Amino acid sequence: MDEFIPQFVGFARLVVLAIVPFVLASQGTMLGGRTGLFNVAQEGIMLLGASLGFLGAYLYGGLGYGVLLAVFSGAIAGLALAYFTTTLKMNQFVIGLAIFFFTMGLSTLFYKFVVGVTLQPPLIPTLQDLPIPVLSQIPVLGEIFFNQNSMVYFAILFSLFLYYLLYKTSFGLKLRAVGENPKAADSLGVNVDRMRYFTAIVGGMLMGLAGAYLPMVYTGTFTAGMVQGRGWIAIALTFFGGWSPGLILLGSLFFAGVEVLALRIQVGGFGIPYQFLLMLPYLATILTMIFAFKWIKAPAFLGQNYDREKRSLS
Amino acid sequence: MTDTNISTNSKAKAIAAIVLPYLLAILASFVASGIFIAIMGFNVPKAFATILFTSFRTPNGFIQTLLKFIPLMLQALAFTVPLAAGKFNIGGEGQLIVGGIGATAVGIIFADLPLPILLPLVILAGVIFGGFWAAIPAWLLYRFGINEILTTVMMNFVSFGLIDYVATQIWRDPAAGHPTTIPIGAGGELPMLISSPPLHSGIILAIIVAVGVYIYTNRTSAGYELIATGANPRASKVYGINTRKMFLLSLIIGGGLAGLSGAIEVAGYQHRLIEGLQSNFLLLGLIIGLIAKGDNSAVPFVAFFIAVLEIGASAMQRTMMIPVEMVFIVEALVLLFVLLSDVIRRR
Repeated sequence: MDEFIPQFVGFARLVVLAIVPFVLASQGTMLGGRTGLFNVAQEGIMLLGASLGFLGAYLYGGLGYGVLLAVFSGAIAGLALAYFTTTLKMNQFVIGLAIFFFTMGLSTLFYKFVVGVTLQPPLIPTLQDLPIPVLSQIPVLGEIFFNQNSMVYFAILFSLFLYYLLYKTSFGLKLRAVGENPKAADSLGVNVDRMRYFTAIVGGMLMGLAGAYLPMVYTGTFTAGMVQGRGWIAIALTFFGGWSPGLILLGSLFFAGVEVLALRIQVGGFGIPYQFLLMLPYLATILTMIFAFKWIKAPAFLGQNYDREKRSLS
Repeated sequence: MTDTNISTNSKAKAIAAIVLPYLLAILASFVASGIFIAIMGFNVPKAFATILFTSFRTPNGFIQTLLKFIPLMLQALAFTVPLAAGKFNIGGEGQLIVGGIGATAVGIIFADLPLPILLPLVILAGVIFGGFWAAIPAWLLYRFGINEILTTVMMNFVSFGLIDYVATQIWRDPAAGHPTTIPIGAGGELPMLISSPPLHSGIILAIIVAVGVYIYTNRTSAGYELIATGANPRASKVYGINTRKMFLLSLIIGGGLAGLSGAIEVAGYQHRLIEGLQSNFLLLGLIIGLIAKGDNSAVPFVAFFIAVLEIGASAMQRTMMIPVEMVFIVEALVLLFVLLSDVIRRR
């Protein structure tokens, strides 16, 4: 028992540390989805965020610059998605894939142009922990939740803010109405297009930030495949969390938990070939989808464009 | 003006209406990326000459292009067939890998069988394994309604673990530095058409399959049901088409095509399973499929064009130090402009 508690605390702390990219990317997906805009470019936008997040910090000597570049690139990607789908009425999945290609190509291209090909990749200093006074002294919980880096606090607080915004304000009601029934929302004076632009851009920013977390906290450098499907898993998490900010935050513990667990077992041995442990997060994601698609209710107009001049919406 | 004149005239116009937007899209993307290359301080005419003409300067360049063309076209078809039914197969990578594993397994286990028996088995194993890998997401869609984009992508990541296990644990080649299996039996290798530079007969197989896919989707009633499902699932259902079954079927066919591309890579090119054989074929396949707007008669031509760009891009990286990713941006721009030309025409 004496062994168990510190071990559990160590594990739980890592899990909370690992929720950040899932939470941010998933909340970004949720925001767009709630207005009917289904972004499927997470993986690419996160890669670009990771690349620019690293390069910003590497070139200008401060993680803040990296964050700024990553968030900015995400905003551009979101703006592009909104423009092509909302203004030009092009297929959301096709445009999402196109943005995925672009951002993924650009991420490596920028890195190669700035850093070139090196034997030893340059490193940036990773984000320091920021223990919260008093709260971090609480036994067990203090170590798990209040002795983390600033992005962890941001991800949690922002999720709570989104919950408040969506469910406790009239703006949130309008936002949700756009995804449930754009025609009704439109007839009540909600600007459907503007709402979709807003959620696409903010959503993109969150995805860019999610990507920047990876070099800034995990690796200190950028590599081409470093997002490792977390962007796609974030879509799964969004479904799993029923397109609701609070449940997404809770659900992220599961996805982050599987990720950390797979790494832990790998280090610990146990005779399971590591290849099967590497599959674990993805298999777990597929399994959760079986449950998620049974009980979730996605926004009714998810993935569908709205044209106010058209009578029907199919 | 006589009647025949009018019809040839309108036919030429129809062809121009299809080809012209493509040419303009290619031109626009080259201009846009040319500006980017110039800003980076590279020689733009030399870069474009390298990208466009490397495939046609030497016999070797042309053969390399054909070898690239095979998996790219099959990957594109693996995407466009389900797309016809309105489903997005983003799992071609995993299906290629698992198809490759199936082909390799048969090629190693039955290594002593003669060619007329082993080769068909190797190819068939690739198709079946690839189809099986797609059948899992297809079934999850059929049974639980789970979004196929998510599950097909997840299956890619699962396959990465699987190929590593096969190449490092089951049939590991100890002499190779990189995770690689031992070679398949000689009877499982696709015969060579030309020996130097080497071109294997997989190209013939791939073209036959492409023609077959085209005939299926555009010339048969079964294919018509597939396209009707994609065009209007609700109307198709009312008409009596089992749309859920069409989703299932289209994804499994897509998986089989991707699996075939894996089998051809193994049986024709490498004669063993090498980790990373999937290259970036999935993404290029998606781009090809989307540039072709899902039209299976256009896929082979677009695939050849992209293969030319890819071979040119690697030459450009070798001789001019411009990263290969540059051409990826060019391809994405072509796609974007092709899509935009649709929007413009609609107005």
